[in-house]
Amino acid sequence: MSFDGAAIQPPAAGTADAANTVAVSHDLLSTWMGFADVQRRTLGVVQSELARTSQHVEDATLDLSTRFRILAEKALEQSQRVADIIAIAGSVTIDDERVPVDHLVVGMQDMISDMVGNIVVLSRHAMSMVYLLDDVQKDVVELEKSIGDIDSINRQTNFLALNATIEASRAGEAGRTFAVVAQEVRHLSSSTAALAERMRSKVTAVVKGVRHGHEILREIANTDMSPQMLAKERVDKTMVSLVEQTNHFQSVLETAATVSADMSATIGRVITGMQFQDLTKQRIEAINDSLAVLCVGLGDLESQIRAQVPPDVGAREPQEWLNTLLGRFTLSEMRGRFVRKLLLEGTALDENGVLDVDASHSDSAGGDIELF
Amino acid sequence: MEYASEQRDREDTIRLRGRLTFNDHAKLRALIGEMKLNKGQRQILDLSSLEFVDSAGIGMLLIAREEIVATDKTLVLRGAVGQVKRVLTVAQIGKLIPIED
Repeated sequence: MSFDGAAIQPPAAGTADAANTVAVSHDLLSTWMGFADVQRRTLGVVQSELARTSQHVEDATLDLSTRFRILAEKALEQSQRVADIIAIAGSVTIDDERVPVDHLVVGMQDMISDMVGNIVVLSRHAMSMVYLLDDVQKDVVELEKSIGDIDSINRQTNFLALNATIEASRAGEAGRTFAVVAQEVRHLSSSTAALAERMRSKVTAVVKGVRHGHEILREIANTDMSPQMLAKERVDKTMVSLVEQTNHFQSVLETAATVSADMSATIGRVITGMQFQDLTKQRIEAINDSLAVLCVGLGDLESQIRAQVPPDVGAREPQEWLNTLLGRFTLSEMRGRFVRKLLLEGTALDENGVLDVDASHSDSAGGDIELF
Repeated sequence: MEYASEQRDREDTIRLRGRLTFNDHAKLRALIGEMKLNKGQRQILDLSSLEFVDSAGIGMLLIAREEIVATDKTLVLRGAVGQVKRVLTVAQIGKLIPIED
């Protein structure tokens, strides 16, 4: 094959090479070589982008898996805590013994019923005592009246004895014996008066005691305990409400426990689901391997052709194609990497503003090339 | 407390009005005496017009029941409302004295 000027001449007819040769213009070869160069670089960038993406997905997946695992553990702990609360929610500790709230409520209601029963019995006994003392008071009044009667009889007796003594002295000697009897009657009357006085004194003390006791008893019986009895209604309602609330709490907690367990299971499934990353990585590696083979093939072909092309035929940068390609990248960081690989490592420099400030900034940390 | 009696068939109905408290104990004792002498086998205390009863009143009703039962008659409490009904219920008087609505 020979090169002459702008056009490659067709080989002479009749030679062995002639059958396998076609004429290609320098312009077309130049374009192909430029295109092959950019394509090879593009393939290189695509491979590194794929590897980078795969790594990014792997890192993110690992990070997410770790966080989800922590979440699952916390959900499990939460379930356990809720289960602990459920275990004690329906009961209270009394003297180191767990007593179910409903048993407690029944026990307290019984206690209050007993208390009300005692109030009723006490009220009944108090009223019986009041009636008894009412009667005793009436009897005591009768007794005082009787003592008065004794006094009255005694005065009459004394008077009679005095008259008898006078009449006996008038009768002279004949009345002497009668006078002795009359004197004895007067003594008897005097003793009776003393006895009546002692009785009056004791009865007065008894009357005073009974009246005082009666007053105290009236005060006791007059202390109305019906409000305390009616307190049972309030206590009963409170107890019912307490049991209802406890049951409600238990039901809510049981739901919470179920939800926590569901969350834990769901998170477990999410972690399993994240194994998609393994498969993705394998696929990307396979694609990258294919791209590497393509790249090597393209480079090989490029070298063969360059060896057969005269040195003055250079590769032409496929400017329009490059612009179309770079126009696709909206992520400035990724665009920066493409630009460096395609333009700065290649023959062409930026002629169309493909290098921009964003690209240089986003990669300033990792790049040794200072972009403008 | 005021009361009025009415005799019909084999039962006597005594309607109590106002408040039954300790202060009525003498009046209630007199009423118990009347009921013991009444002819009716059933002695009914109509409580529908009774507004209030205190714990002494409950004690007196129990005494009335004992004394009336001792004369082979029955005491019945009828038509209690409001506070009276609540106290009778809480004190479980129904276990000792028949209660009718």
